[in-house]
Amino acid sequence: MASANSAEPDYLPSTVQGAVKILVTGPFGVGKTTLVGSLSEISPLRTEETMTAAGADVDDLTGRPGKTTTTVALDFGRITLNPRLALYLFGTPGQQRFWPLWEDLSRGALGAIALVDARRIEESFDVLGQLEEQRIPFAVAVNTFPDTPSYPEDELRSALDLLPEVPILACDARDRRGAYDVLIDFVDHLHATAVLEPQP
Amino acid sequence: MNGPVRPYVITGGRSRPSRNVQALEDLALESLVSVDPAAEPGEFLDEQAGLNREHRRILALCRQLLSVAEVAAHLGLPLGVVKVLVGDLWDLGAVQVLPPAVPPVRQAERLPATLLEEVLVGLRQLR
Repeated sequence: MASANSAEPDYLPSTVQGAVKILVTGPFGVGKTTLVGSLSEISPLRTEETMTAAGADVDDLTGRPGKTTTTVALDFGRITLNPRLALYLFGTPGQQRFWPLWEDLSRGALGAIALVDARRIEESFDVLGQLEEQRIPFAVAVNTFPDTPSYPEDELRSALDLLPEVPILACDARDRRGAYDVLIDFVDHLHATAVLEPQP
Repeated sequence: MNGPVRPYVITGGRSRPSRNVQALEDLALESLVSVDPAAEPGEFLDEQAGLNREHRRILALCRQLLSVAEVAAHLGLPLGVVKVLVGDLWDLGAVQVLPPAVPPVRQAERLPATLLEEVLVGLRQLR
């Protein structure tokens, strides 16, 4: 079956009982795959999904049904948290044309980390708006590129029009330790929110 | 992915898993798949089981636990196709599927605090 050249898959321990997922999203080129790679215990994998979207955002004057098929590439990684539980991290493209896929991706997700490039924050407006719209719990993580200007948090919060409860974190997506800190702070935030929510 | 993919050929024209609506909901990207250890080896590989080449590739790959997303990535098949094929194998009893640890709800307030604690403890140990 497998040739000598094909890499042996990194299987999960047989004791694992289930998995959770967190999405990593943001505009094109912001560093989603880099962040996933810094956190993942396996080399990031790429899979593709074909998406048929009704052409609601396409003005089609010919009267043909406006259906388009798009292929979306998802890069993802994995962390085995303990012998029973694994965490998957899905790099999720933030462009508007991929939003139809978000509903499926976000179902059952703990939440999303929205990577922001402080040099071009306007590219993140759509993604952040969509996260709010979809009521996906999220934190903003500023990817600190070497030439990233440093803004005070309140300035960034105001520029991104973020609600006070949305955490603003920062890391160099290439740095494993920093990436872990962002992930831990985000889950800590989710935990605090979950505890404080009144039970229905 | 090599060359054009014709999902509906691979799945026999179906775009949804064969099981039932509940199973479709259950099969998430992070659902975990492995060959059912109780199943007789080779039982599902004969012609009569009606399995195609891609079904067999999934059986060969999933001798241990992998997520649906990993199966798709390793086999170079679109996620939707893998969901359908895994659904077939699940129907036959050829694979077992572990559902996601979080039920497919979208409201964050329903996340169990104990699960988030378990995630936190794991991440802090690995950091």
